[in-house]
Amino acid sequence: MTLAHERTAQFLEGVRRERRQIITPEGVPVTVDLADYGERLIAFMLDLVIWLVLTLAIYIPIIAAIAASGGSLIAISIALFIGFVVRNMYFVYFELAWRGATPGKRLVGLRVIDRAGGPLLPSAIVARNLTREVETFIPLGVLLTWGKAATGDWESLAIALWLLFFAALPFINRDRMRGGDLIAGTMVISLPKRVLSSDLVENTAQYTFTELQLRAYGAFELQVLEELLRHPDTPETMRVLNEVCDKICRKIGWATPVPPAEVVPFLREFYTAERGFLEREQLYGKVRADKFSPPTKAG
Amino acid sequence: MTVTDIAADRSALEAGGAAKTELVLKSSEFRKGREAGWRELEGLVGRVERRGVRALSLDELQRLPILYRAALSSLSVARTIALDRNLLLYLESLALRSFLAVYGPRANAFQGLRAFFGHELPAAVRSARWHILIAALCLVVGTVAGFMLTMQDEAWYTSFVPSGLAGGRGPASTRADLLDKEIFAPWPGAAESFGLFANVLFSHNTMIGIMTFGLGMAAGVPTVMLSVYQGLPLGAMLALHHNRDLTLDFVGWLTIHGVTELGALILFAAGGLVIAEKILFPGRYSRIENLALHGRVAAQIAVGAVLMLFVAAILEGGFRQLIQSTPWRLAVGLGVGALWLAYFGLVGRNASKTGVNALLDKAGPNALLEERRR
Repeated sequence: MTLAHERTAQFLEGVRRERRQIITPEGVPVTVDLADYGERLIAFMLDLVIWLVLTLAIYIPIIAAIAASGGSLIAISIALFIGFVVRNMYFVYFELAWRGATPGKRLVGLRVIDRAGGPLLPSAIVARNLTREVETFIPLGVLLTWGKAATGDWESLAIALWLLFFAALPFINRDRMRGGDLIAGTMVISLPKRVLSSDLVENTAQYTFTELQLRAYGAFELQVLEELLRHPDTPETMRVLNEVCDKICRKIGWATPVPPAEVVPFLREFYTAERGFLEREQLYGKVRADKFSPPTKAG
Repeated sequence: MTVTDIAADRSALEAGGAAKTELVLKSSEFRKGREAGWRELEGLVGRVERRGVRALSLDELQRLPILYRAALSSLSVARTIALDRNLLLYLESLALRSFLAVYGPRANAFQGLRAFFGHELPAAVRSARWHILIAALCLVVGTVAGFMLTMQDEAWYTSFVPSGLAGGRGPASTRADLLDKEIFAPWPGAAESFGLFANVLFSHNTMIGIMTFGLGMAAGVPTVMLSVYQGLPLGAMLALHHNRDLTLDFVGWLTIHGVTELGALILFAAGGLVIAEKILFPGRYSRIENLALHGRVAAQIAVGAVLMLFVAAILEGGFRQLIQSTPWRLAVGLGVGALWLAYFGLVGRNASKTGVNALLDKAGPNALLEERRR
């Protein structure tokens, strides 16, 4: 994505998304949006809830069965072990079967991909999820169950530091990788679905714009205008469109006033002419990012 | 540009006779010609995302890579000729989604686990054999030091062995004490041994292991120190039993789980040393890059070590006191040790060469089709 598009995105969406490029094996760079911390946290929480429900569904009959026979400690051990297995199998299974997305990630719209753009190998998925165990769950379990009983203060402190370090890791590297991602060579991206709307280009030209008039704007203004024209038809949109129309007329010195009913057709034709002009210029290597960039004179 | 400029420009145009021009945009024509293909690809990818590759028929599978490559080329062209934001965003998203559909993981959980335990884990351990040797040497140095010092003066025992580990044993213990309460203590029953004891041991050892591993980040110095330090109580306990003529019984008591447990601790330390090496000697990469490149090996070793500790905890907590004879304990311990050696040393030796490549081959666009035909 070029600089102009980046600026349009920031202007229109209000937030600045971290973007990276991966190169597909075919050699084409594709832009990916890094997942936000919030999105990842929500996805993880969802997965945790699903895991808990799943494990409890398996636990309760087992605990009931064993408690009836008297061996409650065995029950706890078996329950812990099943929790361990279900937790790991859950993440590994879904990330393999659903192409890098657990149910939580899928609901939020996240995917795990190979950082270099290669195929996501099963070993990477296994590595990134088994590391989660070493990274968080085992130390957390030790801290919660045995922290007071079996380990000393220094060990508890070491565990706490360990947990803190891995919790902080996604915040201190630029690709927001947690330990498992770092090791497996993966990253988590957000994957929004985009819809292809109809082309705004008008083929019948009622108005004619001169080259000098079209030179008034750049790609940024063009894309903002495009976004405006694609907005649903509400009184509010109409008001903004009228304002924009006035501004454009003043800027390009359009003398004849545009009647209110003609505002949308006029703007669409201006959009078409402007886009045609800018695209032609771009093809000749004269890219104009916005109205402030120096005018490139032909010839 | 000024308004007068524009006015002049406009009047010049009008003077020349402004003819109504039919506007033809290259990007618009480009879109008209290709939109059908994009829509078809979008439909196929949507179905793969929802229901997996199985949702597609053979014909559709054949179309998928073709449409995918066409979409990629459309994206490249659109980036140079089009300024339609909606179109560009759509193509970016479509290219990425179809890339993920075509190059997604092509194995189920079982195959993934088999690949991991079948050749990647043993291969990672084999690749770190020098680190393992160094870690083992550190442990031996610690053990010998602990043994020598405690042989001279049993007072060292109390400073080497933390009270939690000593379990009431010490210079004051007599031969009979050690035999009845420790080496041939009665089996406490399934619940106590498998349930509580094994869990405590697993947690405790894992923590020590993780510390040894993680502190490899600090250039490996703490890793080496911890390895030596772990040998000290071992040597001290050996000396204590040696002085009471219980060497063989103690070794048997220790071997049944110790081979696995110490093996795991050595693996943790070796993983820490791998990290330390990658940080200390980054070669032509930056330190973080080098760590990311080789970190996978270290993590795989750590996962293997956790696995070993798990087995060790079951052996120690459950079976040690169940088997009440020294020869049998030695046999079980050494047998398990031989199994670990065979696993890490031999498993996946041939597969490791072809394994990753085979997986890569299997992940290409045409692999989808071949997989379905099989």
